[in-house]
Amino acid sequence: MSGSHTAVAEPVVQQHLDLPGTLVDDWHDQAIKRLGELVDSRRGLRVFLDTCTKCGACTDKCHYFLGTADPGNMPVARQDLLRSVYRRYYTWAGRWFPWLVGARKLDKALLQDWYNYFYQCSECRRCTVFCPKGIDTSEVTMAGREILASVGLGQQYSQEIITKVNRIGNNLGMKAPALANVLESLEEDILEDTGVAVKLPLDDPDADMLVVTPSADFFAEPHVDGMIGYAKVLHQAGIRWTFSSEASEAANFALFTGQHDHMRDIALRIRTAAVKLNVSRLVIGECGHAWRVAYSFLDPLVGPMKFLEPAHPRAQHICELTHELLQADGIKLDASRNAGKVVTYHDSCNVARGAGMGNKEGGQLTIPRELLAASVPVVVEMSKDTTGQRTFCCGGGGGMLTDDLLDVRIKGALPRAQALRAVVQTDQVTHLVAICAICKTQLSSVLPHHDLADVQVSSLHHLVGDALVLT
Amino acid sequence: MSDILAGVLFALAIYWAVGATLYRMIVWARTASPLPIPLTPAPRTRVGVAGRLLLEVFAFRSLARATTITWIASLLFHYGLLLVMLMHVRFVFPELPLALLPFIQFSGWALLAMMSGLIVLLLRRVLVDRVRYISSPSDYLHLALLMAIGLSGALLKRVWPTNLFDVGMFVRGAVTLQWQPLPEGFGVLIHLALATILLLIFPISKLVHGVGILFSPTLNQRER
Repeated sequence: MSGSHTAVAEPVVQQHLDLPGTLVDDWHDQAIKRLGELVDSRRGLRVFLDTCTKCGACTDKCHYFLGTADPGNMPVARQDLLRSVYRRYYTWAGRWFPWLVGARKLDKALLQDWYNYFYQCSECRRCTVFCPKGIDTSEVTMAGREILASVGLGQQYSQEIITKVNRIGNNLGMKAPALANVLESLEEDILEDTGVAVKLPLDDPDADMLVVTPSADFFAEPHVDGMIGYAKVLHQAGIRWTFSSEASEAANFALFTGQHDHMRDIALRIRTAAVKLNVSRLVIGECGHAWRVAYSFLDPLVGPMKFLEPAHPRAQHICELTHELLQADGIKLDASRNAGKVVTYHDSCNVARGAGMGNKEGGQLTIPRELLAASVPVVVEMSKDTTGQRTFCCGGGGGMLTDDLLDVRIKGALPRAQALRAVVQTDQVTHLVAICAICKTQLSSVLPHHDLADVQVSSLHHLVGDALVLT
Repeated sequence: MSDILAGVLFALAIYWAVGATLYRMIVWARTASPLPIPLTPAPRTRVGVAGRLLLEVFAFRSLARATTITWIASLLFHYGLLLVMLMHVRFVFPELPLALLPFIQFSGWALLAMMSGLIVLLLRRVLVDRVRYISSPSDYLHLALLMAIGLSGALLKRVWPTNLFDVGMFVRGAVTLQWQPLPEGFGVLIHLALATILLLIFPISKLVHGVGILFSPTLNQRER
């Protein structure tokens, strides 16, 4: 089981989230009741459970299926874990003819399967692209995880992170003084490297712009180089900006666990910090699911942010901001400064399929590429079946980025690794660029298992920052 | 007596199919949709969304991305079925001018398309390991039922002579609750009985996907 089973949340973590610490005695009745409530309150879930025809279109589209060859990882099989129970308890045919329509009673073994397989899904929605009914497996996975947590079976990794972000302000549990130290030493590094005094402000009350970024950007490699890139761009554009110690995290792991109430609370921190700092612009750093939440869910979760300036009435992606500056000649990029690098771009699933960017349909696919093209002399594309809307997940998204799932993560990265290897062989690609903290961590740690240790995983804004003409 | 009973049953099946399908549409429509989950890149206008749905409903665009064989088989089956059903309109309304049904001369081809589509879909379900793994008995039975309806229809067309005027009288009588005698002939009874079963299960089975797709938030929501 090592590397393919994720630890169940400890009682103290569950209780912090007002959930039962261990599996409740009447788990069966509670789970069925919760399933009914979710079906009644989420149209997508209900339609998706009702309309699958078992056509098989999705069966070979999931990176975890392709990597593990486990039929339980076919998207429709994953959905059926929940659908069969829904049919048994909430449909006429399933109640009276369970054997005919594949309806099942929920028992301990099936509950265990729920836990195993709903935590072998990164909620990347690639299967949805190919489903003729538009069925979104991630909604089913989220519902399954929500029900599991509600009867006492949360996932330690995600639930612990949600408690940290609630208590301290970021997923890593870094407090304000520690953050200030990190930022100060980064300022010194930049000064030493470039001779320019680029600031990384924290809780600056005079700032016009709040930047919220995944906390991995503060210290992890290769993330931190991306954050240095944001700071250089903002410096060069002459923008007065700041981080917030209270909202020092863009990520929102409650999306992964399907817990809408916690998702709202975590999103609310960002709004509250923006109001408190009295900023007129809000920018989100390189983080896939954070961008989905900011782009698609921020308004419905915490209301429209009327305090933002009319020209930018909603949260902007850092790529969108840099792109705007580049087009308006607010910054200059010199690609020759990245000479020798051959770069390919990995579309992060939540950006490509769960959000947009800029004013044009598909901007989330074109804007990062235009930034790369302006920053690096040679950019090559991986196979079309593995990029854009059809991009393969890195294998670590959706609450999967934990050591106890390492085996599944390595296998799940197989399709991405194959596409990457192809361009390494044909075009001698040296760098794989992503705009998601999870993608960066996951790909850095699993690519060596696919004999791709020589490919450097990079933040997009690392390359932008290196190409930037800084004064 | 049995004429009336058959008429009542057929009428019930038709009204049930329409009523229960409408009910399901109402339930889908009234279920809250708290967070927008369009599959992006998504259209940003209502017209764009309508275009996206039309492409899915009439061209099975996503299926075309996924598997060519299933896509072609599905197109053959669904469009064959559509034409065959349109031709049934004339059985019920014999006075309808043929000019309104210009494709009626292709009825044999339509039936052939429908049946060959069904055969490929069944073969795929049996022969492809992945698809067999996810299939329940009802998945095979739906195909078998449709094939039996098509086959009995083909026999009625070529082998078992049938008085279509009587069939039309019976169906119109059932729908307007003015019961008419059952048409003569074993074959037509089988065909009508199978069609009745199809109508009965339509709203409570996966067959309802045809309307369900319109409520799929990944497809019918726009990006804003």
